[in-house]
Parts: sequence; structure tokens; C-alpha cells
Amino acid sequence: MPTEINKFDHQAADVFTREVIARSGQNIISCYQCKRCASGCPVAEDTEMVTPNRLIRMVVLGDIENALTNKLTWKCLYCHTCGTRCPNNIKTGRIADTLKKMALDTGINPEQPEVNTFHRVFFKQSLRRGRINEIGMMGEFELRTLWDLLKKKKYIAIVSELMGKSTFAWEMFKQKRLHLSFHSSRGRREIGRLYKKSEGRKWI
Amino acid sequence: MDIAYYPGCSLTQSAKHYSHQTQLILAKLGLRLKEIEDWSCCGATSAGKINDFMAVALPARNLGIAESSGFTEMAIPCSACYSRTIVAQKQLEDFPLLKGEINSELSKKIQGNIQVLSILNLLEREVDRGSFSALNLDKLEGHNPACYYGCMHTRFPYDVTISDNAENPQAMEKVLKSIGVTALDWNYKTLCCGASSVIYNTERALDLMATIMKDALARGANCFVVTCPMCQMNMESQQEQYCEKHGIKERLPVYFLTELIGMAFGFSKKDLQPDDHLFINGMDWTEMCGDSV
Repeated sequence: MPTEINKFDHQAADVFTREVIARSGQNIISCYQCKRCASGCPVAEDTEMVTPNRLIRMVVLGDIENALTNKLTWKCLYCHTCGTRCPNNIKTGRIADTLKKMALDTGINPEQPEVNTFHRVFFKQSLRRGRINEIGMMGEFELRTLWDLLKKKKYIAIVSELMGKSTFAWEMFKQKRLHLSFHSSRGRREIGRLYKKSEGRKWI
Repeated sequence: MDIAYYPGCSLTQSAKHYSHQTQLILAKLGLRLKEIEDWSCCGATSAGKINDFMAVALPARNLGIAESSGFTEMAIPCSACYSRTIVAQKQLEDFPLLKGEINSELSKKIQGNIQVLSILNLLEREVDRGSFSALNLDKLEGHNPACYYGCMHTRFPYDVTISDNAENPQAMEKVLKSIGVTALDWNYKTLCCGASSVIYNTERALDLMATIMKDALARGANCFVVTCPMCQMNMESQQEQYCEKHGIKERLPVYFLTELIGMAFGFSKKDLQPDDHLFINGMDWTEMCGDSV
């Protein structure tokens, strides 16, 4: 993972860093690697040693491929422990979000496809109906995830996915928390117009 | 006093009883919540991962509706909706051009003069005003709660004013103290429970929840008290899974703060947990009970 010094392309690094700064709104060049973010990160054990500070270093050094495809970018829980503790107020959660969007813009397949599927399904439903219907949203997510797994011929993963989700659904059923209802908001037309306006925009 | 009320999607579905309890106890405290008309989803954390503009525009629409209905305050019990809404409000204030662009498409424009309050902000203010001590409270015995705040109450993706200490918040403890319950001091008040990653990265989420559970048990807690519907759902519905995975024998109930307060106010369990039928959504409990109390 460490960038080899002879591979360092300062021009590419410069362009990439500027784009990340502009899109995330975070001044990442003020990071001095104190690692307070790393010690608080709840997913750090699970990301093959990519901690928030190392993610920032990857961006600054122009290690574009790793920055867009590492596990932290895709597994970040958006809990903002890193941002709250950072002495330079860099909210690395927003950098991870920005890198997700940049990966999709460049046509790179998401490192964790189900993360992308979940957020996409959630967002699309909030646009389409104006409100989220939990059962409908989960159903669409499940079908898409299972289809992805089927295409990759991961049959064992399909079984464990089905087992896991049916336990979840059963627990929710027992607690009387499943509500099959069709919520929607009349404002979805307004939301549709706003969405049209947002197309092609890279930042807010 | 009338306050605008934004329930958000989960409070109309999986956390319906939370919405019901919130309206019940706030009515008892003399605050009437008026659900804003035709509200829409705030986009939660998902919108910002796909489209930055919509992450601001979605909550902006709700702010516009609440403002043009003449309210000065809006209560949002769901932590994720609360976080998204105050962040969007601050961003609209900081970027006037963005505000103009969003306003040009909205039928109810944003001015930027409404105050957004979480349930803890509201209850804390009532404690300061002495509304709790004026009421006849039942004594709650045998509760030894660990107050679990989660991420969204104190940590935000944008620089907004934080009403509490980010690492060791005290609002829930203060509210519980006013109903005669002493909460424990413990470590993982604000550790992330995994949130929606329970769905797509289950193993990690289970580990995180087990960490929270172990510390609460080690301190002698006999229940959790939460205000975030996502945390409550995770900690409760996944309890068998994470306890089994990490060899924890005990199980703890996970209460919404409003439930304990409701018990202190003398509501019965049936009042607080209306036996809503699983798949029939015909009965609107908030309409049946909300205003009559």
C-alpha cells in the first residue's frame, strides 16, 4: 500500500487532492498524521490497516487507485468520531463519502457492492416516493444483492444472506415492528425537479 | 405551546411507538406537536453518498414547509433526521447561492428562522423550566440504566453548534434525574452501533454492539435508554445475534427515553406500547391518543 517514491506523480497528486478538497469541503493538507482519528475509528480493525489518517495520506500522495478502492472508503460508518477528535477539524467521514462518489464517477466497481446498493436503493426510493417504506426498501435491496451474488455464482453467500435477513425479519416481526404500508409524499414532484437541477453537479 | 413536528420515515413504521410516546409525554408537559404537512424523507446518511446537492435539498424542503406554516420551533425525535436537518440548515445559511437555487424550485421557501430541536433539547429545556417537578411523578424503582446516545446526537458532518459534550453527553442523565432515576457512568455512550451497516456489513456491526453491551453489563446496567430509533432497533432486534456471537448470557431491554418518562408520568404499558397490528396500518394511534391527553 505505501506509495513507492519513484512512482510519485506530483501533477496527478495535485489534481486529485484539489478535487477531493473541493468536493468534500475538508482541508486535508492540514493533516499532520497525529492518528487521533485512527485510534477512535470503529471499523479500523476491519479495513486491512487503512485508517482515516492513512486514507488522507493516500489522497495527498496521489495514490488514486488505492484511495478509491480501499476498504475504509467503502466500510466507513459515517459516525464522525474522526472528525470530532481531529485537532485540525478534518471530517474524514466526508472524505470517504467523496471518494465513493469519485469511484463511481470514474466507473470503478465499488469495493463493497452491497454498500453502494443499499445507499442507492434508499436514495432512489426517497426520490421516487418522497418517503421511505422500510419493507419495500429492504425488499428491493435484497433482490438486487441476491442478483449480484447470483451473477458472481456465490451460492454459499446467497444462503447466508437469506438466513441472516430472515432472522432479522423474524425478530422484527416478533417485536411487532413490521409495518406494511405505502407512505408517500405529494412533494415528490418538487423533489424530482430539484433532482433534475442536481444532475451533473459535482458538489453542493 | 405549538411546535412543528417532523416524525421522519422510521417513526411512522418500525419506531411507531416512539412517535406515539413522544406526543403523549410532551402533551403532558403542555407542548403540542403539530405534524408538518406533507413532509418528505430527509435523505438520511444515504443521500450524501450519492448526491451532495440533494442531501441539502431534501431536508430544506421540510424546513420550508415548517417555516411557512408559521412555526418558530421544530421538534425532530429521530437522531438521523435531526442531524441531517440542522446540518442542511447551517449549510443553507453559509451558502446563500445554494439557498437561492433550492428556493427557486420550492413552493414553500426557506427563510432560515426556525429553530430545530431534538427530543433531548426539548426535554432538557422543560427540566430547566421546572415542568417536571410541577407534575406528580410515580417513583420508578429498580432501574439502573446506561444512557446510550449513539453518533448522531453529538457528532455532525458539518460545523454546527453542539448542545452537549461531544464525548460525554449529559442531557439524558439530567432528564432521568428529574424523574428520580440515576443513570450509570460508562464508557461507550457515543460509540457507533453500526447503524445501517447491520444490513450490509453485519459482522462488524455485531462486534460493535457486543462491545457496547459488555461494558454496560460490567457496570451493572439493567437496561439501556436511547433516543435514536436506529440504535434502538439495532440493539434490540440484533440482541440474540450479537450476544450469541460473543458469548454474553444476559439480555437487556432497550427503552426509548420517552418510555421511562411515560412510566413516571403514570401511563400504563398499554398506553405506551399500543398493540399495533403487524400488517394493518388502518389505525392511527397518534390521532386517537395524541390530543386527548
